[in-house]
Amino acid sequence: MSKFARPTLHGVASSLAALALAVSTAAHAQDIAIGALLPLTGPAAPVGLEEQQGVQFAVDRANAAGGIRQRKVTVLYEDSQGKPDVGVLSFNKLVDLNNVPVVMTAFSSISLAIAPLATRKKVLVINAAAQSNKLANASPYLFNTIPLVENETGAITNYLVKTLNKKTAAIVYENAAAGIDGKDDFKKSFEALGGKILAEEPVEFGQTNYRPTLLKVASVKPDLVFVVITQGHPTYVEQTAQIPNFPVGAGTTFVSPLCCYAGSAGWYQSSIKSGISPELEKEFNDKFKTKNMGFYAREYFNSTNIALKAIEHVLAKGGTLSGEAVRSAVLEIKEFGSSVTTISFAKSNTAVRGVEIQQYGTDSRKVLAVEEGK
Amino acid sequence: MLFLQLLIDGLVSGCAVGLVAISFSLIYATTRVFHVAHAGLYTLGGYIAWYASTQGLPFVLACVLGVLVTTAAGALIQRQLYETLERRAATPLVMLIASLGALAMLQNGIAILFTPNILQFPNPWRTQIVSLAGVSLSYAQILVAVAGVLVFCGLLCVSRYTQLGLRIRAVASNPFLAEITRMRPRAVYVHVMMIGSGIVALAGILVGLDQAMQPYTGILMLLTATIAVIAGGIGSLTGAFTVSIALSVLQNIALVVMPGRWSIAATFGLFILFILVKPEGLFRKR
Repeated sequence: MSKFARPTLHGVASSLAALALAVSTAAHAQDIAIGALLPLTGPAAPVGLEEQQGVQFAVDRANAAGGIRQRKVTVLYEDSQGKPDVGVLSFNKLVDLNNVPVVMTAFSSISLAIAPLATRKKVLVINAAAQSNKLANASPYLFNTIPLVENETGAITNYLVKTLNKKTAAIVYENAAAGIDGKDDFKKSFEALGGKILAEEPVEFGQTNYRPTLLKVASVKPDLVFVVITQGHPTYVEQTAQIPNFPVGAGTTFVSPLCCYAGSAGWYQSSIKSGISPELEKEFNDKFKTKNMGFYAREYFNSTNIALKAIEHVLAKGGTLSGEAVRSAVLEIKEFGSSVTTISFAKSNTAVRGVEIQQYGTDSRKVLAVEEGK
Repeated sequence: MLFLQLLIDGLVSGCAVGLVAISFSLIYATTRVFHVAHAGLYTLGGYIAWYASTQGLPFVLACVLGVLVTTAAGALIQRQLYETLERRAATPLVMLIASLGALAMLQNGIAILFTPNILQFPNPWRTQIVSLAGVSLSYAQILVAVAGVLVFCGLLCVSRYTQLGLRIRAVASNPFLAEITRMRPRAVYVHVMMIGSGIVALAGILVGLDQAMQPYTGILMLLTATIAVIAGGIGSLTGAFTVSIALSVLQNIALVVMPGRWSIAATFGLFILFILVKPEGLFRKR
């Protein structure tokens, strides 16, 4: 090879590499990035990983259909570990370093911690599972696609008192934002209907020994035990079953994993009206090798689709993609349909949806009543 | 009846805490290392045994495997980490930080390799209960209590009546003299770490069997055990085991008179008062 050819070849190779990098960068610059701040490790990880599947399912389907206006959607996941301080750091990383206009969030304590930042930085935050009442007004940029505890608790309390004639109750609640709100809301609505709370016992997040608490609660002989815990459900059921004549349990959506054990047969639960078409569920199960699409996966699937629809709305109008623009889009569109229910933001940043009252069997749950959202 | 059930449950929990306390006491009194990675080994034992059980191994063999693996892990930490740092004249603070690092690696490694989920052993017999005079105990709880007492008595016998026990006590009381009289303290440290790790693994397995496991609960167990070690008198196995039981019983029966959120605070408040009065602990060794 001549001495002239070698530098030329080198130059061509370098130019090609630079061009490839520029094209690649340009292509990536066209991608739409959204953030997802979920508990991917720690005691809350079982929920967080299911939520992640829901988000990814929505994004993958959107990309398979050509993306949003021919632009690919990518999700930048950050692990909150279920801790507010880690959540704040991760949120700042998503917004300041990655410039995402939308962040999917989970867990009340984390959502509340990042809410002021969402307001200041004008980033749309979508919560699809946390239910603390404080989320209602935490930030004009925080949207809750799921009714908050007080809405759901009212429905189940009504049923427990008026239909089942329960007069006394004890409460076992997780000593964190959502648990405390759930306890307070149930107490308020139960007492408003003439009921009496005989005991209120906190448990810690990540706890595995519930026995002392359960013994104390059972000793006051309530008609029912209202439960507000977000993890450790199988252990909770197991340990209640070891106490003779433990009262019937009840709870809200939080306690869905209590279902379908011998120890929890006959317990009651309110559930946000949710669901998925059989076709979509099969597609999900095939993709993630699961047996069913759980509640959290469905909610995050639907909520991610809300975010994507709002983003498309912004881009269709020729707007610049920003948190402020996507937020405005959500308020303009107002109602987002899923295959089972409509998620409406007509009245506030918190969705209005129907609530079901369910009873557990040993391998399934039965819907006893439905209360439509107000 | 509530009081009696809480008392019995406290005695059982206390046996589990006691196992962690006597193993920690043995290690600390001998090596002078504040071995916080002990909490990670507690968790490791439980997860190894759980994994073996889910693969079809009978519980006893799964338990033995969990203990053996954790024993080896403890020996590795002593040899490769603490001994290396000791040769380089590391301060106790540096040793503590290194131990914290080992704990973080163990906990997060377990979460990554296995799962961060709360897990339960797949043995259906563990939740069956035995009722007597109005008090109920699960088979797993009975196992915790029996194992706790047997291991405590066994460790006391080893400490008092065996050559190894004599060497351990000699090294613990005067490592310098032990070195110059060729008692080989470093070999003793490895033995102590192995014994301690085996015992704490057993505690992790049995508590996991009785309740459930998640990668980050070991540290709370170790905190309670450490308090028992200090209040019981550093170096005293009887003190550590006795105070562990007392602490667990107190925490449980405090629930009768106060809400659950206050019972832990009240128990540790009592400990602080106790230590102000008797800072050397109940059964002082040194």
